[in-house]
Formats: sequence, structure tokens, C-alpha cells
Amino acid sequence: MTFDEWLRVDRLPHIYCAGCGNGTVINCTLSAVDQMGWKKEEIVFVSGIGCSSRAPGYIVTDSLHTTHGRAIAFATGIKMANPDLKVVVFTGDGDLAAIGGNHFIHGCRRNIDLTVICMNNMIYGMTGGQGSPTTPRGALSTTTPYGSSEAAFDLCGLAAAAGANYVARYTSYHVKELTLAIRTGLGNPGFSFIEALVQCPTNYGRRNKLRQVSDQIEYFKSHAILAQKAERMREEGKKIPDDMIIIGELARRNRPALGVRK
Amino acid sequence: MRLVIDESRCKGCNLCTLVCPYRIFRPGTKANPRGVIVPELDRPERCANCRLQRLYGRTICGMCQMICPDQAISWEEEGPCEPMKVAIEY
Amino acid sequence: MSRIDFMQGNTACAEGALAAGCRFFGGYPITPSTEIAEHMAAKLPKVGGVFIQMEDEIAGIASVIGASWTGARAMTATSGPGFSLMMENIGFAVMTETPCVVVNIQRGGPSTGQPTMAAQGDMLQCRFGSHGDYSIIALSPASVQEMYDLTAEAFNLADRFRIPVFVMADEIIGHMRERLMIPDSVHRGERKLLGKGNLPYQADDDLVPGFPVFGKGYGVHVTGLTHDERGYPCATSPSVHECLVKRLVDKVESARDSIASCDIVNPDARVVFISYGAPSRAVEQVLHDIHNDNVGHLRLKLVWPFAESLLSRFSNAETFIVPELNMGQMAREIKRHTNRRVIPVPKLGGALHDPFDLAALVEELL
Repeated sequence: MTFDEWLRVDRLPHIYCAGCGNGTVINCTLSAVDQMGWKKEEIVFVSGIGCSSRAPGYIVTDSLHTTHGRAIAFATGIKMANPDLKVVVFTGDGDLAAIGGNHFIHGCRRNIDLTVICMNNMIYGMTGGQGSPTTPRGALSTTTPYGSSEAAFDLCGLAAAAGANYVARYTSYHVKELTLAIRTGLGNPGFSFIEALVQCPTNYGRRNKLRQVSDQIEYFKSHAILAQKAERMREEGKKIPDDMIIIGELARRNRPALGVRK
Repeated sequence: MRLVIDESRCKGCNLCTLVCPYRIFRPGTKANPRGVIVPELDRPERCANCRLQRLYGRTICGMCQMICPDQAISWEEEGPCEPMKVAIEY
Repeated sequence: MSRIDFMQGNTACAEGALAAGCRFFGGYPITPSTEIAEHMAAKLPKVGGVFIQMEDEIAGIASVIGASWTGARAMTATSGPGFSLMMENIGFAVMTETPCVVVNIQRGGPSTGQPTMAAQGDMLQCRFGSHGDYSIIALSPASVQEMYDLTAEAFNLADRFRIPVFVMADEIIGHMRERLMIPDSVHRGERKLLGKGNLPYQADDDLVPGFPVFGKGYGVHVTGLTHDERGYPCATSPSVHECLVKRLVDKVESARDSIASCDIVNPDARVVFISYGAPSRAVEQVLHDIHNDNVGHLRLKLVWPFAESLLSRFSNAETFIVPELNMGQMAREIKRHTNRRVIPVPKLGGALHDPFDLAALVEELL
């Protein structure tokens, strides 16, 4: 495949800043969708508001760019009304966890057959770098100028607890693994949630001593720890440092799914 | 196949320079007309995908293309080799 | 053969929707509209439709818009507080030109107000509630029969103009039980599909672009951002935005005389009642009681867009009396369009106007 056959090439280059990880997640998603062998007319990409949510506008399939936080609710309507469509939701951390938190947990609870890909850059990028529900404690942003005093949301833990069938987390550095995870999510009936941590050099890295694009990628590389290894360390009684990012497949089960043609 | 960077899309983030196992991509030095410093290719014919993609029928490695946030890296077909007259000096 | 039934307004609304081919309902329970959701939950699965109870009204209207893009006729029903929550996505439906039907069984407000009492306090909210300039269509049934008929018609209007259409009923009409004639079939307009070779937001002569159904290979990008004819975001061009918003308004406003729907009694009258929804029933009683050719009645079935040409049909009118279950929301609109005297008769609290009071007012004026 070439990415160009999936992209609205007349709209490129896209609006993302230089080094933004969202573009990488688009690559991984398109690659996974292509591996599934799906036709372009049977896929709908849905998104809310934010940097992440501009992604469907660059993909040639039918795409719906909706209101802030409501992407999963719109996608639910599409999937329920026509279960033959494959519905993929692009969302961001603010879109999904803050304003859209309720739709997110209810999507997981219903276990509706969607694949939700969250590009988590730990900041509100499009509005200029305000703190989001996933901004780590102590991180600087324009609305947390003295360091965030709130705990960050564990989105994967939330999805798993709320009942999603498939939950995985990777970063924009782990492109092959992320592609595989998205592919697994696409093939899995029920709610599949894939969290992709992405770098935001413009609004997150710049304020948090990760000024270069490569700094944040190196951070992901050195701070990622596979779920199985973390589990082993826990069993051995070793402490996992707080700033480690647990990646890998975090839940996979077979609860009855909604929106699947019987 | 030939490895190419689409200068109209590249934003010069240099992520490709981090991931290439052959270190084919090097940070560029000169800004192009759009003001972007596009990475330079150091002997791109070393790229495994250039040589082996046709043979294996799939993308080999392809890390640079996957991580490129701007969809600027691709492999393009090369025309058939044209016979060239080479003057050999003894 | 049509059949006669006896049912509640809300049930008639749901039946009308089903007859019109509604196959998706996404909503959230709220008094006094819940019976519509309950009836749809029972009936939709039997006709191959989908009922889904969402987590809130925001998600309810969102799912309806999503379903509409798959080509289905879709609706939701709510009341005041839920209607307020829906406002942002109603604006989205206007901007993306998504046909959908929103039933609002109005109750007393503001806020939680009077959940079980009637009001017409959302008449301006349905017209102006979302941000930005736009235009919509709102119908107002005054009987159980009209709950059926107008809900069915709402789907045709929504598909024709590609806008959200509101059925602005009230608690009295929603919960009233009345005789109802159910026809064998209702008129069903078709949603105009996007023509081959046309851009997704390229409007035809009627200012409405053809509809590109998801999943049919149109590959359309639908966005709430200001977009050009290709559907691509173009949010910083003043001319694109102006063109788009003017077209969104004009496609409805330019048709306001042709879609106007009303009942007119005694067009030569000197004193004319203008009403819509439940207060119409009090007015009908007044006309029945006083039997005077100098008292007329304009009953609006289609409230928005307000067709001011209807006022000129009453050439001898000296006074318009506008009884409403609010503090004069439509009276304000009527005043804007006439130099004759307009007397609003506001009524708050949930009780209907007393026909004796209205009759006394008429006696005074004649």
C-alpha cells in the first residue's frame, strides 16, 4: 500500500506542527486498516474537536468531524443505524477524557463495536497548551504554570474498568506495535480502545524540558515498559517508578458487543 | 525503487533521522523555498526496502515512512536503466 | 382503509414518526416527553429500526445526527432542560445540513421548572438557541391528530431542506388523549441524493445540496467547521463563511411562504387571534361561543420560519391577540411584521387560557 491512496492528497501538508505525533498515528491507523483488507466505502472515521480530530479530514473515506467530546456518541448512532459500516473514532485526551468522559465510559459499558484511537499528547494542543486530564502531576502548561497539582487520568484503566473488549497502549515511537494493536482492535468485536501517547513538541515538550522532537521520542523509548514486564516486576516485589509508561495489550475479553450484525 | 522525501510535505522534524537503522537520513543544513530544512539522504541506495521490496513483495523495515508524521517519505519506481556511455580512462 | 384510534399525544407522535419511516431513535428520558421514547422502544425493533437510550440528551441528538448520515430517518424527543443540552449539536446539524427531527414537549421553565405542566417557553430557543446565524423549521401541533400528522410531515421537511425540524408541542398536547384518524399511509418525500460529479456541498437551485449517504462511496468529509463546496474546512475565509451562512439561512427563509401551514377562520374579521399549540384550543372555544364574523383566527401549524404574508390575509384586522403559554415570544415576532395593534396574552404556570377571559377581551375590543 501507499499512504497516498488513503489520503486526500490535495489537503496535504496537514495542519500539524513539525514533529507532531498525530501524523504518525494516522500512518499506523491507515496501515492497520489496509491490512484488514477493508474497502474505503465501508469505513467511516469520526472525530471530535482538537488536533487529533483533524485527522479524518485527511483520509479519503467518509468522515465526520463533530462537536467537542461527542465523537463516540455520533459514532454510536452511525454504527447502530448501519452495522455494516466499520466505524473508527479519532480522539484526543481532552476530547475523550474531559468533555467526552461520559460518552467514553458509556461507550465502553455498551461495548459498542467501535475502534477508538486516542492520541494522547497530555495537553490541549490546539488551544495553545492548557492542562488536560492526562497532564502528569507537576507538568507545566499555560493553565498550570506552577506545575499540575492534579493526578492524571489512566485512560486505559478507565476503559478496562468500564468494560471495553480490547484495551492497549503504545506510543508514537512504537509504530509497529501500535499498528498491530490497532489492527487487533479493528478485528475485535466490541469496544476497542487504543491509547497512543504522542509527542507535542510545540505545547508540551517546549514547556517541560523536552524541547526537541527527539527528546520526547527518546523519553517514550526510555520510559516505556511492557505490561508483562511490569507484571513480573510487581510479582518480584520491585518498584516500578511512577513516571514509567506501561505499554502493551492491557485487556482483551469477549463480552457481548452492541452494533454487530447477528 | 528509490527512496524520496516529498519536500512539499516535509516539515523538517528529523524523526526519520532517529529511526533509520542505516542512518540514511541526516539532518539537513539548508532551508528549502518553504523555509523547511529537509533532511538529506546519505547514499539512499543502501536502503533495504529499495533493493528488496520487489523481491519480497512487501515493505521491508519502512520505519522512516511509518514514523514520518507528514507522510513525506515514500519509495518511487525507477525507470529501466538507460545505457550510458562511460569513458574509462586508463 | 384508515382506522380510528384513541391515544395520547406522545404516542401519536411516535406513531406518526414510524409511519413516516423513522428507523432510529436516540434519546434520554425526560418528563413530559418520555412516552415517545417508550413507544419507540417498543415499536422500532419490530419494524427493523433501532432504539437506543443514550447517556444524556447531548449524546441523544449526536446519535441521531450520526444515524441520519447513514441515510436513516432519525429523531429524538425531549423537553426544556434536555433541549438546552442539545443546542450545540443542533447548530452542528444546521452547519453540516443533517436532516433530523427533534420533538420538544415543552414544560415550564427556566431550569427544572414545572416538569408536568405545559408551557411554550422554548419557541425562541428553538429558533435562536444555538450560536451563530441560522434558520430552522418548527411545527406546533394543537391536537393529537396533529401530533401524528405534523411529526410525519417534519421528516419530509427535514429531508427536503436538510435541516433539523422541531415539533414544538407542549405538555397539554403531549399528554392529552383524543380521537385520532390513522391513515393507511402518509406522504413520504425522498431525501435528494448527491448527484454524480457534484461536489458534496454544491447547492442546487433550491439552495440545498444533494445528500451523500455514508457507506456508498461518496468519500465525503462532514465538518462543523466552515467548509467550502468540497466539504473541506475553510475557516478563515470571510467570503466562504458569508456564502455558506447566507445559503443556510436563505434555503429556509426563501421558502417560508411556500411551506407556510395554518388554519384561517374569518379572514375579514376586525379582531384576530393568532395562536399555535395548546392555546389554539381555548381560542377555538371562544370562536365557538361568541359566533361573531368580526372575530378571526390564524392558527399556525408551522411557526418558524414565520411567514409574515399570512398577516396580510386579514385585510380588515385592527387588532391581533396572541395568547401564548409564555411571556409573549411569538407576539414579539408578530409585532415586528405589522403596524396594527398586537396584544400579547401571556400565561405562565401551566394552566391554559380561560376562554371566558379571552372572550371578555374580545368584547372589550369590538
